[in-house]
Amino acid sequence: MNTAVERRGPDRRLGRFLVVPGILATIGLLVIYPVFFLVTESLNVGVSGTFPPEDIGFGNYQDMVSDTQVLWNTAFVAVLATVMAIGFGLLLAWILTRTAIPGRRRLERLMELPYYMTPLVGALAWGVIAAPKTGLANQLGRLLGANGNFLNIYSAWGIAWVMALFEGTVAFVMISAAMKSMDPSMEESARVLGAGKFRVALTVTLPMILPGIVSATIFVFAEMLSAFAAAFVLGIPSRFIVITTVIWQSTSAYPPEYGRAAAMGLCLFVVLAVAIGLARLVLRKGSYATITGKAFRPRPMRLGARAWPMVTVCWAYLTLAVFLPMAALLMTSFQKFATVIVGDMRFTLDNYASVFRQGAVASALTNSFVLGLGVATVGSLLVGVLTWVIFRARVPARSLVEYVVMFPQAVPRLVFGLGLLWAWLWIGQVLPFTLYGTLWILGLAYLTVLLPLGVRTLAGVVLQIDKSLEECARVCGASWSHQMRTVTLPLMRPGIAAAWLLIFISSVRELGASLFLMGPHSKVIGPAIVDAWLTASSELSAAMALVQTGVVFVAVIFLLRVTRRYSGEPA
Amino acid sequence: MSETDIRIDIRNLVVDYGDVRAVDDVSLSVGRGELVTLLGPSGCGKTTTLRSVAGLEDPTGGSIALNGTLVYSAPERRNTPAEKRGVSMVFQSYAIWPHMTVFDNVAYGLRVRRMSANDIRSNVMRVLDLVQMRNFADRPASRLSGGQQQRVAVARAIAFSPEVLLFDEPLSNLDAKLRVSMRVELRELQKGLGITALYVTHDQEEALAISDRVIVMNAGRIEQIGTPEDIYRHPRTLFVADFVGNANVIQGQARGAPVGGEVNFVTVGGPVLRAAAGHAQAKGDAAALQAAYVDIFAPGRTDVPNATPGTIHRCMFHGDFIQYVVDWPCGQLLVRRPPTNRFAEGSAVTVSFAPEHCVVL
Repeated sequence: MNTAVERRGPDRRLGRFLVVPGILATIGLLVIYPVFFLVTESLNVGVSGTFPPEDIGFGNYQDMVSDTQVLWNTAFVAVLATVMAIGFGLLLAWILTRTAIPGRRRLERLMELPYYMTPLVGALAWGVIAAPKTGLANQLGRLLGANGNFLNIYSAWGIAWVMALFEGTVAFVMISAAMKSMDPSMEESARVLGAGKFRVALTVTLPMILPGIVSATIFVFAEMLSAFAAAFVLGIPSRFIVITTVIWQSTSAYPPEYGRAAAMGLCLFVVLAVAIGLARLVLRKGSYATITGKAFRPRPMRLGARAWPMVTVCWAYLTLAVFLPMAALLMTSFQKFATVIVGDMRFTLDNYASVFRQGAVASALTNSFVLGLGVATVGSLLVGVLTWVIFRARVPARSLVEYVVMFPQAVPRLVFGLGLLWAWLWIGQVLPFTLYGTLWILGLAYLTVLLPLGVRTLAGVVLQIDKSLEECARVCGASWSHQMRTVTLPLMRPGIAAAWLLIFISSVRELGASLFLMGPHSKVIGPAIVDAWLTASSELSAAMALVQTGVVFVAVIFLLRVTRRYSGEPA
Repeated sequence: MSETDIRIDIRNLVVDYGDVRAVDDVSLSVGRGELVTLLGPSGCGKTTTLRSVAGLEDPTGGSIALNGTLVYSAPERRNTPAEKRGVSMVFQSYAIWPHMTVFDNVAYGLRVRRMSANDIRSNVMRVLDLVQMRNFADRPASRLSGGQQQRVAVARAIAFSPEVLLFDEPLSNLDAKLRVSMRVELRELQKGLGITALYVTHDQEEALAISDRVIVMNAGRIEQIGTPEDIYRHPRTLFVADFVGNANVIQGQARGAPVGGEVNFVTVGGPVLRAAAGHAQAKGDAAALQAAYVDIFAPGRTDVPNATPGTIHRCMFHGDFIQYVVDWPCGQLLVRRPPTNRFAEGSAVTVSFAPEHCVVL
């Protein structure tokens, strides 16, 4: 009786049948077309970068497989970082969902902070803290008479440590979701039947949340494989090379080895796509807990005095991931040469002056800001329409739209940027105007890679809008467009605002896709920070990173204010 | 009822969801001012039928006419969109728009119809008065209790004076006490305004209490159409007997031709009962007997119809009535008696019931 039947969309039949092909064609052009170029280039064993290739073969793939050192490095860092990240996530999720510690709610909200900080900023900060010799911690160690190189962040362990700190939040969110979706009465009934705490944990709790943990592990591992920022910032100085850094190096080398980069990028993409599919499958097939889709709050364990170690763990994580890095960046950014030795400190505002005045840096900042505003505005509206089409409209092949829209999340940003670069370079030859090297191509790229993020954000909101709210408007006599205007869109507004915010944040700090697509006159802040780090000074890049983070935080606070006033909720 | 008085006319409606036939050849009509209930278990096609009338489904076959106008017709390839049908509907979830005030919710249909501000105001206040929600007009709809949302949903549905009102399990989300009182109010409102209503529910008690006619549905098909009393007293199929009321189903075989509407019914358990002959197509291999129609007497009574010996197996006090499980020759018999009529568990008794209440199926 209550079989899910989608409500009626626009009644003009023709319109209904044109919607999907239209969307598919547009998104397909943005998404599939660059990947097509990647595939062709990866098979190009002739002159690099020519299209169509003159010579075709699998040489690029053979080269990749024979470079065992890179593969080994990548796998080593990814495994190490995954183990640590899942460890963080599991511990934090258990503490924050299952124990009654003081300040739990605030801590839970604070766990979002690492997400806003980004791995790039984290890597820079940890570079400042623990670089051999010059790192603040090492300076401090020398001061105290220890070996001046006791911390070396420019190593596999260092890279894994930084990646784990920042991916830890993702693991935390995924695992605590699994823990929260378990009905506490499942455990209670085992207790009532006579099982002890340990037995309950082993026979009931663990099997129920295991799919969540496994799925989080797979997902996090895939993210680690395709992570770029930390490996780049911390790996280049010590020549520790992973697959993503090779992709970057082989394109910036002379002559550029585009084919090699494409082959590696494609392999990464395949691994990532398989992993995401697998993670979803595990979650769907294996979980009994999420069937109802309800969120439960299990009765938290009262710990008494034993709560304090738990509280300490949470704050320690936040300190390592957020407060310490921020403090280090702050301290560095105001100095001429970063040091912790009070006598040697030379404070200056020059770094900030450079950020705002030095032509290239200032324009990168402006460009990023403008791009963020533009992409967020266009993107959130587009995502609003797409989400409604995917989850509500009664049109043929809706699920195909979903797959195509979500496709970019399986493509590592770096790889996608690469594909887009060639795709638009080639198309640029037939177009009457140039796209390459302008902000437009960056905007297009951001829009494409950020669509999945927006759709995921809005999907929850749209699915929560009871279908009968829309149906009722129709029965009351409203046309489709009137219903959309008066009922659906107002109800989607908080979701659209959230999507706007997330897309804005992600645009401002975009790195992977921007690296390949920015031109000399369309610099953006993410790659500019990396540039400053590698070629100028850590003091300047610290200032830039802080300004970028500041912009993101101001945007978050501003939007939270606005939406709160708008929805009238005392959130 | 005459042809011109028919407000809803459904003919041979078929609705398929993929391979599943949700509604299978359903034909029914609702007259002016009548409240007809579609009653059945979940998945029986009642809500799908209702939504087809509202224009919220794409049926597969048949036709639907509202006030003599064809709004859906498979052969004519016509499916008038919901907003052009002029019907109104109360949804199971109430579908109160949380981003509007109570007033805006109720005024929605009037604004769509481009009424003047004065007319809107007076109409909204009139219907809010009817549901006793006048004082809540300016309240945000997100801050209403379930019962209040229910009232607003009803007010919104009747505000633009629709000719036909559809109810999709409107009371199922209320608690038991409120459900009973809202039932009375809904019926009052519908009678008072002379609204034609099609009402969907899975609650047989509600259906019997509120309707002029009840349509029992099962697996996409209509099992029986009749007045509440007719459905209760004279179920035509095993399904109706089982679903409506608390009927005992007695296995056996009807023997001989009916005399004065009664036949002999030879039970599997032995006793030969006098029973109502049932309808012409009755198969005759079972009989239905509502628990409330059985009397219990001290053992040994023979001057009552269908007197049969039995033993009280279980006695359950329900407040308004007592439910007995009686062991008798045909197995176990469910009996409901007033709470004044007490028998101890284990005591021997005589059960009795009028032939007209034991209906051959």
